Amino acid sequence: MDDLSLEKIEISGSILASMIQRASSSPSDVDGLIFGQIHRIVSSNLSDDSPADSFSSSSSSDQIVATVTSFACSGKTVSFYDPLGRVNSRRVDSLRVDSPDRLIGWFSARRKTANRPSMRESAVTSSLSSQFHLPIEDSQNPKSTNMASSVFFLLTTPSTDQCIHTHEYRAYQFRSSKQRLEPRSVGVVNIGPAFRGHYGSFIPKSGFPPLVCELDSSAMVVDRDEGSLGAKKQAAKDQKEIDALAEGLQVGDLKRLVGAEAASFTGGIEDMYERMLAKIQSLASDVETSSAFVFQQEKHNRKLRNRVARIGR
Amino acid sequence: MAFEGFPPLIADQLHYLLNHSPDSIKIENVWSGNKINPKILDRFTLVIPYCLETIKWDVIYNSEYAFDPPDFVFGPDDEDFMPCTSTITPDDDDHISSLKKALSEWDNEDSTRLLVLIQGLRDQYVAYQRRSVGQVDDDRVKFEISTVLTRKGIEMQRASGVDKPEEVKFAVPLVMDMNINKMVVGCPWKHQQKIYLQVVYPILRKFESTASAPRLRLVSSSELKALFSVEDVKLPPWMDGMCLAEYLPHLEETLERQIQEAVSAIDLRRSFIEALTIFLGRPLEANPTFCRQATFLTSSGQFTFMVHFFFSTQFPKQQPTLMLQSCQHLNQSSVPVKSNLLSEYPWSPRWEVGRMAERLCDFLTDEAVNFKKYCNEVVLQH
Repeated sequence: MDDLSLEKIEISGSILASMIQRASSSPSDVDGLIFGQIHRIVSSNLSDDSPADSFSSSSSSDQIVATVTSFACSGKTVSFYDPLGRVNSRRVDSLRVDSPDRLIGWFSARRKTANRPSMRESAVTSSLSSQFHLPIEDSQNPKSTNMASSVFFLLTTPSTDQCIHTHEYRAYQFRSSKQRLEPRSVGVVNIGPAFRGHYGSFIPKSGFPPLVCELDSSAMVVDRDEGSLGAKKQAAKDQKEIDALAEGLQVGDLKRLVGAEAASFTGGIEDMYERMLAKIQSLASDVETSSAFVFQQEKHNRKLRNRVARIGR
Repeated sequence: MAFEGFPPLIADQLHYLLNHSPDSIKIENVWSGNKINPKILDRFTLVIPYCLETIKWDVIYNSEYAFDPPDFVFGPDDEDFMPCTSTITPDDDDHISSLKKALSEWDNEDSTRLLVLIQGLRDQYVAYQRRSVGQVDDDRVKFEISTVLTRKGIEMQRASGVDKPEEVKFAVPLVMDMNINKMVVGCPWKHQQKIYLQVVYPILRKFESTASAPRLRLVSSSELKALFSVEDVKLPPWMDGMCLAEYLPHLEETLERQIQEAVSAIDLRRSFIEALTIFLGRPLEANPTFCRQATFLTSSGQFTFMVHFFFSTQFPKQQPTLMLQSCQHLNQSSVPVKSNLLSEYPWSPRWEVGRMAERLCDFLTDEAVNFKKYCNEVVLQH
């Protein structure tokens, strides 16, 4: 695994904003993992310089860009590592539960401190980059090389109350060959016409469960793939889940939306949507009450922690 | 010194650190990282002496999670200082393991732990700077490192900035074959007094052919000033092509001699104060150990006043400074009227002590009349 240098780190505006929001709403410092991909971008070199002049690797060869697509915040510090900075891979796995993306690095948010990596953060980044790696995605070269998960995002608030800005962020890459954290520029990718070009390599993923939609009534399907018994069982299970929501509406029925029966059928579908909306509303109020309960529990935990630390009040 | 606002366990550790640290560590800033309760302080900046100057480290505790040890943010020039990462040269193994032990077996109820941690980090920092200085591409520095490292306690620092030229600083403790504390009768000092030589080598840049002489400065622990001021010492000149191994013994000899002279000067000052007793009576107050100060109560006719004597370490070459203070006149702020500091009067260091005292008291007799007039004017003004 070579020790390659990232050109820059891209992050979508919404991810950065939710990271900052998560950090500023927590009562103490937090850390967490960040996930994403690494791409190789071939930059065309149109100059007339002879190849012998160009010493820097980025002039005629590719650029490697890291893209951050999601994150998982632990809600506390020293979450997946110990105070010496040694990363525990079991705790990393429990923190990254269900995340479909690859681990690209980690982030740390501390209030009112200097905008430089601390002693522990350097150690954690070093340990993380030696234990985890991810492939470099390259559309041209299918045989991908691996790169260490060495990205570190630092979120801080300014030490003095200047009121000019309230949050600061910086990104670093850990280079194992030089054993140091090097700062990298951060590109924020947003939605809008100006950013359309950026979306070329930026592929955010949000998982959607695979649903098999079979048109049972169609007799035109030839060579129906039997599939394995397991796949069929899974398809039947998914159909049952949708049936519970859609109350037995088959996909094939949707073709009745056009034509003679349209008026009455539309009314029926609208009623069904209203019932679905009511279900969503009751779900939302359930979530609200359980959130309040979680908040009370967190308050109680804080009181206990303060009692142990002998902080009065 | 109470640290109000700190959680009690952190305050204990901070107290212990400031009271028991062998170097005098100070706190510069304290602040809170807690959002819900910003009155709970859990972060501070420590100013730690290193290489005869200071370095600043931010110590970051987390008041919400009190079981964890603090984290440290080092200075902006020390980006490569990473004491916790495991790739350090094997000969520092004992230091690393004690630091790692301090961090992994952190007990937040033990008040000594912060001191142990800071000392471990400081030792690591000394080793880091030594490695950094060893990488400087300068023959003179490399030679000095190889010859002078047999002395214990040398600290080095590599200073480079955008505008400043690159320099390497050495702080060398001077070894003199005497225990200054024992030489002074009734010495009140708790710690051993030390003198250091700071040597700053400018690093040769490409267009310079010869190395310029390093800048030299003597620094002593602050309590030594009562006996001997290192600022008065004239350093021997640094010849071209000299190196520390040649310069140091010469300097140490000079200093030994000067300190012995300073110690005998104490006796001289004491005998002068005793000579004054004949004319002015026993002193109201006098410093018995270093004899740098004495105060006498005296009168001129009906006018009673006090005379303060201040002796410098250069006595008798430099005459003592006098200040008169009236016992009968108060100025506008209800403070006794004092005269200016008087140091222009007949004096010669070659006189013997009795004659010095006699001439000084003659001067005082005349000066008392002037002072009385001055006091009356001051009182009349309001």
